[in-house]
Amino acid sequence: MFRNYFKIAWRNLLKNKVYSFINISGLAVGMAATIMIGLWITDELNYNDHFKKKDVIAQVYQSQAMNGDVGTGPAIPRPLEFILREEYADNFKHIVMSSWEQPRYLKYGETNIYTQGNAMQESGPEMLDLKIIEGIKDGLKEKNSIMLSETSAKTLFGSDAAVGKIIKVNNLDDLIVTAVYNDIPENNSFNEMDYLIPWKYYVTKQPWLENAIDRWGNNSFQMFVQINENTTMEAVTSKIIDVKKNASVDEAEFNPQIFLFPMQDWYLRNDFENGVQSGGRIENVWLFGIIGLFILLLACINFINLSTARSEKRATEVGIRKSIGSQRGQLIFQFLSESFLIVILSFVFAIGIVLLFLNGFNNLASKVIVFPWTNIQFWLVALAFIIVTAFLSGSYPAIYLSSFNPVAVLKGAFKSGRYSSLPRKILVVTQFTVSIALIIATLVVMNQIQFSKDRPVGYDKEGLIQIPVMSNEFIGKAEVMRTQFIASGGAIEMATTSSPTTNVWSNRSGYTWEGKPVGFQEDLAYTNVSYEFVKTLGAKIIQGRGFSRDFPSDSLGVILNKTAVEYMGIKDPIGKYIRDADTDVENREPPLKIIGVIDDIIMQSPYSPVKQSIYAFDNGGTASFYNLRLNPEKSTAKNLEIIKNVFKKNFPDTPFDFQFVDEEYGRKFSSEERIASLARVFTALAIFISCLGLFGLASFVAEQRTKEIGVRKVLGASISQLWLLLSKDFITLVVIALLIASPFAYYIMGQWLQKFSYRVSVGWDVFAIACFGALIITLITVSFQAIKAAIANPIKSLRTE
Amino acid sequence: MIKITDLEKYYKTEELQTIALNKLSFDVKKGEFVAIMGPSGCGKSTLLNILGMLDDSDGGSFIFNGEEVIHYNERKRANIRKHNIGFVFQSFNLIDQLTVFENVELPLIYTGVKKAERKKKVHEVLEKMQIMHRRKHFPQQLSGGQQQRVAVARAVVNNPKLILADEPTGNLDSSNGNEVMDLLTELNKQGTTIIMVTHSEHDAKFSHRIIRMLDGQKVIENSLI
Ligand SMILES: Nc1ncnc2c1ncn2[C@@H]1O[C@H](COP(=O)(O)OP(=O)(O)O)[C@@H](O)[C@H]1O
Ligand SMILES: [Mg+2]
Repeated sequence: MFRNYFKIAWRNLLKNKVYSFINISGLAVGMAATIMIGLWITDELNYNDHFKKKDVIAQVYQSQAMNGDVGTGPAIPRPLEFILREEYADNFKHIVMSSWEQPRYLKYGETNIYTQGNAMQESGPEMLDLKIIEGIKDGLKEKNSIMLSETSAKTLFGSDAAVGKIIKVNNLDDLIVTAVYNDIPENNSFNEMDYLIPWKYYVTKQPWLENAIDRWGNNSFQMFVQINENTTMEAVTSKIIDVKKNASVDEAEFNPQIFLFPMQDWYLRNDFENGVQSGGRIENVWLFGIIGLFILLLACINFINLSTARSEKRATEVGIRKSIGSQRGQLIFQFLSESFLIVILSFVFAIGIVLLFLNGFNNLASKVIVFPWTNIQFWLVALAFIIVTAFLSGSYPAIYLSSFNPVAVLKGAFKSGRYSSLPRKILVVTQFTVSIALIIATLVVMNQIQFSKDRPVGYDKEGLIQIPVMSNEFIGKAEVMRTQFIASGGAIEMATTSSPTTNVWSNRSGYTWEGKPVGFQEDLAYTNVSYEFVKTLGAKIIQGRGFSRDFPSDSLGVILNKTAVEYMGIKDPIGKYIRDADTDVENREPPLKIIGVIDDIIMQSPYSPVKQSIYAFDNGGTASFYNLRLNPEKSTAKNLEIIKNVFKKNFPDTPFDFQFVDEEYGRKFSSEERIASLARVFTALAIFISCLGLFGLASFVAEQRTKEIGVRKVLGASISQLWLLLSKDFITLVVIALLIASPFAYYIMGQWLQKFSYRVSVGWDVFAIACFGALIITLITVSFQAIKAAIANPIKSLRTE
Repeated sequence: MIKITDLEKYYKTEELQTIALNKLSFDVKKGEFVAIMGPSGCGKSTLLNILGMLDDSDGGSFIFNGEEVIHYNERKRANIRKHNIGFVFQSFNLIDQLTVFENVELPLIYTGVKKAERKKKVHEVLEKMQIMHRRKHFPQQLSGGQQQRVAVARAVVNNPKLILADEPTGNLDSSNGNEVMDLLTELNKQGTTIIMVTHSEHDAKFSHRIIRMLDGQKVIENSLI
């Protein structure tokens, strides 16, 4: 019985090759897109699944108010650790203080690597469930120990045992390898953590780290915790929320709120707005989930449209079947088995497409998704998906077809009424509404990226490189290196900075100045720079001057950016002082004299206003980067070769590592660019599927109207008149879709743009391009069939048989 | 008005070649009413299609109104056709989605007649064909005879010099058929040249001259006047 249904279904497929091709390819492409999006979403949702204790691990976060703006982040002060350990110990299974992930230079014999790692307290490996391959889990107990990831151990020691070997860190200290742990897989936090060093060791490395031990105002550290079994994140948060506020009188004015940020939310929900959790990547998950469903919907619409359209041709078949006693149910069954056959075939092709494009998709989305062949869940979902799609796309045509009145059909009186094509038209409008909305959205995303890229950065980022400072040796040699680099001809200028040009690593407050409003809580981006900072970067002086070797007092000078002058409300800033507001006169730092104002340079997000920044003089010891302005007379490759030689002569044991500043800056766009490329791909797919459907409908309509076209041609219609006749209806549908999609997309993209303070305005040009594009695409799709019908010889269609 | 000489037409289908017209020659004078008869498949429709410039011939000569049109391209032929020739088909070939009025209006649209002028002309011809009261109906709502009257109305609305009718009564009963033949006779009296294919001796008697065909050739010609 089933066999019979499928046999007939199969014959029907073969009989209508074009129709079957359009249906199957459209559905297959739609399904492939949906599967890929589904895999991507699963991957996103499974982030951090490697950690078994995902639901009891949290990071301690802090919110603080500055002039009414609440900022939230993971940076916390050291004394918080002691108060939690002493007064709230029963809430926690583990408390782990941690540094920021930071690259260090590890050397064993002649082999060296420069790689990322953390300093953590002893129970870190236990809390993170590190799988120990060699050595002990307690590997951070001794101050001079180091734990290595499998990858870094392999690079340093090859296949030799690692434990017990001694590694030189940053050319300074000898640490003994105590353990090797399995790499933490991609798609998890800490996946780039190539080594762990003891917190004990880390905090003694620099005086400011040691001094931070009782400084509630120095928010420079991270803390991870695992809560006890008998409590919840919320319960713990409610207990500790005011600990800092109560512990420090000075800090209370910022209303610091300490809370637990569960590991569950780290990846997908890490945006905070005014102290309240407000989404994050989860929005993209939703966005692409919806796009995936839409694409599937588009493919299903094709199926429904083509089947119902074709149904009129099958009216006779239905009439005959009914008149020989077919039950309506049997007919529905027959049509459903056809749709099942198509859906199953499409699914098979879809898997082929996914396999073919998964690599490309992974590159596009920066993922390492593998096809889940052995995942039962996937196949169950796939099965459900096949059934739903088959029913979704097959039931309407099945019910519609089987409802034909057999008598009317057989008498030949079956005529498609004027409105029988209305549902079809609505579906086509739906398809094009989605496609056009996607076109508009993609254009807006691309415009926003371009707009921000075109934003002046305030310095010349081309021909600028940064060399990270890897040891104290670098710091002491900065002046020597500058002289040598310039003398070598590979660079024309050099300056050190305490943070990269493309980021702010330090923020300061606690200053006072002439005209400072009472109660004003300043928050200033703070960078230490050397003499030739302005010249090296090519920043623009607006007032005053840059640091100069001619003025010894410049060592206590400071340069402000334009925004800082406005922010601080300083009139005639040059020559004024910014003073330390510390009440303790002993600890007070000397006042800083404003010597210059530079135009804003974008160090942080290209989508946000430039932060108020001050650039203080680097009195030695704060440099994190050598910034070099390459010699414009030579090629970049030549310059780099010369610079590398100079570098190697001075630091023979250190690998030469550098970054192009413009590339670093370009990275700021990567997440938006990824969205843009995904959006482009899905838009293209949506258009492709919609056009496939339109093509099918157009050929159906042309076929249905062959006689009419023949008659009109005999009566003198020209080819262009016939082409217009056949295309007009579709153009109307697309115009309606444009009218629906435009305000909708305008609204949605307006919302999306809200998250960028530096944003493009959605202009009419976007709509004009989308409109023009949609019409051209429609015309091309429809015209093929229309022109084919129009140039056909009419006598064929008019012959009476 | 029409002079064809040695007209040839072949159809090639899967290695089988059919000779539809085999060196056919005759001429038709202005104002004549000619009937073409012959068994099914002898090439009558093929001939009419070539005379109506809907199809190419494979050889011979075709002079229309003193012009050799055999080598004319599609566009030129379409232009001659729409200004000079009206068609009536056995199966009416009305457009289902258009009303009677709209069907009859079509040839005027394609010859670029202005809207007001079109309305006047269509009304005139519908009056003449006595189907004015049906102008807002759709073809399916009419009887066969009425449909053919609409088709004739459509064929003549442009005042063509020549009407080509392919078995115009083939789908009609005798009384409806006679009505259509009366219409054609009337049009012929007003000066329109008519070439009509028919199977019916009765209908053929309305013409001035009968051309009898067999296997793509003229076998006999009888004049009725
Ligand atoms: N498009 C075609 N392709 C192949 N053969 C054709 C075609 N049209 C007509 N014929 C053949 O040409 C011959 C003449 O056809 P036709 O002119 O329609 O005859 P009639 O109208 O006299 O019945 C027939 O043998 C027919 O089969
Ligand atoms: Mg015939």
